Amino acid sequence: MSIPVFRWRSPHERFLFLLSPLLVIFAWVWVSRLGLFPDQILVPPQHVWEAALGLWESGELQMHLQQSLYRLVIGFSVGALLGVAFGILIGLSNTVENACSPLFHAIRQVPTVAFIPMLILVFGVEETFKIIIVAKAAFFPVALATHDAVRGIPKAYFEVARAYRLPTWLLVWRIILPSTVPPVLTGLRISLGRSWMVLVAAELLAADSGIGQMMEMGRQMFRIDIVMVGVFVTGLIGFSLDRLFRSLEGRLVKWKHQS
Amino acid sequence: MATIVLAFPGSVAWAEQPKEVRIATVAHYNGSRPSFIGSAAVIEKQGWLREELKKRGIRLVWVPVAPQSVGATINESFANHSIDFAGYGDLPSIILNAGGVETRLIVPGGRGNNVYLLVPPNSPAKSITDLKGKRIALHRGRPWEITFARLAEANGLKLTDFRIANLNPGAGAAALAAGNVDAFVTLSDAFPLVDKKIGRILWSTKTPGQDWKMRAELWGDKAFIEKYPDITQIVANAYVRAAHWVAQEENYPEFIRIAVVGGQDAEVVKREYADDSISWKARWNPVFDEFVTSHYRNAIYYSRKVNLIRNAFDESRLFEPKFVRQALKDLKLEGYWDTPAVAASTDKRGSS
Amino acid sequence: MKRILNLAGNRVFQGAVLPILLLVLWELASRQGVAYAYAFVPLGQIWQGLLELLQTGELVTNLTATLRTMLVGLLIGGTLGLAVGGMMGIFRIVDLLIGPLYHTIRQVPLLGLIPLIGLWFGNGDFSKVLIVSMAAFYPMVLNTYEGVRNVEKRYIEVATVLRFSRWQLFRRVLFPGALPSIWTGLMHALAFAWISTVGSELLFAAGPGLGGMMQNAQSISRMDIVVIGVASIGVTGLLLNAGFSRLRRYSLRWRETG
Repeated sequence: MSIPVFRWRSPHERFLFLLSPLLVIFAWVWVSRLGLFPDQILVPPQHVWEAALGLWESGELQMHLQQSLYRLVIGFSVGALLGVAFGILIGLSNTVENACSPLFHAIRQVPTVAFIPMLILVFGVEETFKIIIVAKAAFFPVALATHDAVRGIPKAYFEVARAYRLPTWLLVWRIILPSTVPPVLTGLRISLGRSWMVLVAAELLAADSGIGQMMEMGRQMFRIDIVMVGVFVTGLIGFSLDRLFRSLEGRLVKWKHQS
Repeated sequence: MATIVLAFPGSVAWAEQPKEVRIATVAHYNGSRPSFIGSAAVIEKQGWLREELKKRGIRLVWVPVAPQSVGATINESFANHSIDFAGYGDLPSIILNAGGVETRLIVPGGRGNNVYLLVPPNSPAKSITDLKGKRIALHRGRPWEITFARLAEANGLKLTDFRIANLNPGAGAAALAAGNVDAFVTLSDAFPLVDKKIGRILWSTKTPGQDWKMRAELWGDKAFIEKYPDITQIVANAYVRAAHWVAQEENYPEFIRIAVVGGQDAEVVKREYADDSISWKARWNPVFDEFVTSHYRNAIYYSRKVNLIRNAFDESRLFEPKFVRQALKDLKLEGYWDTPAVAASTDKRGSS
Repeated sequence: MKRILNLAGNRVFQGAVLPILLLVLWELASRQGVAYAYAFVPLGQIWQGLLELLQTGELVTNLTATLRTMLVGLLIGGTLGLAVGGMMGIFRIVDLLIGPLYHTIRQVPLLGLIPLIGLWFGNGDFSKVLIVSMAAFYPMVLNTYEGVRNVEKRYIEVATVLRFSRWQLFRRVLFPGALPSIWTGLMHALAFAWISTVGSELLFAAGPGLGGMMQNAQSISRMDIVVIGVASIGVTGLLLNAGFSRLRRYSLRWRETG
């Protein structure tokens, strides 16, 4: 199975790689130069750049970034770990699956953002609420991908394991984890993107720091340049996280084939 | 539609007269139909504006805006010219004009709405000074920020003396209920919270001598009002007419009824107006007077001081008083509001 | 026969234990005092709220509006995603040209774009549908692309030997080969579209829809309606997912026998 990972290719492909983003930026500069739209509608790139510099120099950008990333890392780790564990559990045990799956699927279907008002009520507006909401966003896709992957393991493996009286932890470690790596990693990558979006949304709705809050404040203050800085920064973070996971995916798949 | 908005930045230009007049106003949705509150509800009930515009072949369109984000939403709509008028607050308008999108205050909204400072019922706080260093839910850039800032300043405090949580009113109420904030600044939605024993009112703009109410009034797109002064005059007349109708004591029950139809709770509306230091009639005074001017002077000064806006400007830039003057003439109401703003005795309305 | 019935009953029972336990805990929490009752409204009150919403027709109109936004967005975004993803999978040059831009823009959290989209396109239905379309578009592109790229090489070799035309190659080899992955994309698109519909209704200004209904309820401290909103969103999502899964099984049934 080939996994599309972006690698730096030959020089002319590298040029092509940069072409479309460069074209978009060029179009932006050009259109704002033309003055077709007022500055408040289409903020010129240099204003966004200046706003970004200003936010950086005052340390505001770093502060918000640090807050958001902290919430993402903690929330995602908790959610993903629980998701893998739960996915394996319901993948292996019919009883547990029967007991949990109606509730699991019901909650899974409710977009995390819809829980924001309720979660605020129960956990307040402090860090707990944001970490829980990120964890919730991460948990479900990971649990689902893990479950599907475990269920996809050929029955013969389990029979062999039973025949050799393999202890459960060894079964999990030697058979289940390796054969579920690719789909679970894809689940992890997807849920990471989702967690990031949910976190930004939660920060837009209720927070006093973080990139989402910086954007919301920019919106309330009609500072579209700051909003644009936020859009770029969130995009950049999302892009970097995605690439990170893709290269991880590539490596782990290789490891799986070697072992 | 998107392309239209983008392709014609001055969407109303090049037409002899507009096909429609779009007025943004706060609304609740009950089912799929928005229900309006405040002046819009009264004006729609009176039907005069719709009729007058219809005579000229113009359609009246109310653009509903959710209460949670009125300021930002209306500012964005003014910026992309998808509305011509809006009934909304003072601070968002200042922020918008400081950002380079020009609007004008057409009809002042009277003496304004009350702002309430809520604390949990068991809070030991007796006044705002007890809240120093505490966590306060306050939606930034909304009109009540000015009120809160004035209260803080009057007590020798600054906004930075508190830990401000920038939360919309819904989230703020929830945060108060969950005990995550020590206080919450909001409008008349304070009353349901009091009834549910989520909070108690520590201070409000009903306090005599501290009636720093928030202002919500009729603003117009500068380009529109310059291009269509006659249409603007009709709109202004409708708002002054509505203010005059509400200001008459005998219409009070009907006014409450309209508010209830608009999805508001009768008791909440009555309590908002009860025990106020300002007389009922003066409350709806649409005249540009020193009260309005000094309010905006103050608000701009504050906004600059706390860096909500990058440049201060003269408040007179925001006003276009000629429409109200003409409206009072047209409606033969000159002198109607020339009475002292503060009632001799406290208005006992609704305290029954 | 009796045993089967027993088992079925058993399974339903097993599945019901956790939700019932949660409901009991909820009801208990609601009786822990007024402040708790604000967060955990008593179940009876939720039931009353539901009856009220059904009587006024509010729930139905809002649900219809939400579903319409979602389905229109899914249709537009899904179709475009299928086209773009397919092109990227088939033509390397398209992949090289659009891929980087797609992978960059895709990472911007959609709901974070709301302030910009509101400013550019207004705060109305158009903007909501735009957000939902984008939400559906991204996973559709990704999975179509991966599906087309992962069609086994030997099938393509066979097609080359058979001198298939480009269209035949697509129609007979690439599309059926990519179909399972396309369906995965569609299922993701459905989930994302549903999330962003609710999210955009929460973040955008007034308009009919479940998100708007919850926002209004929140502003007048009607937690029962918020809970009903969450539940309606969940149930609708569940039904949508079940419906699409059935369609997916139906359209992939040839794989079982193959």
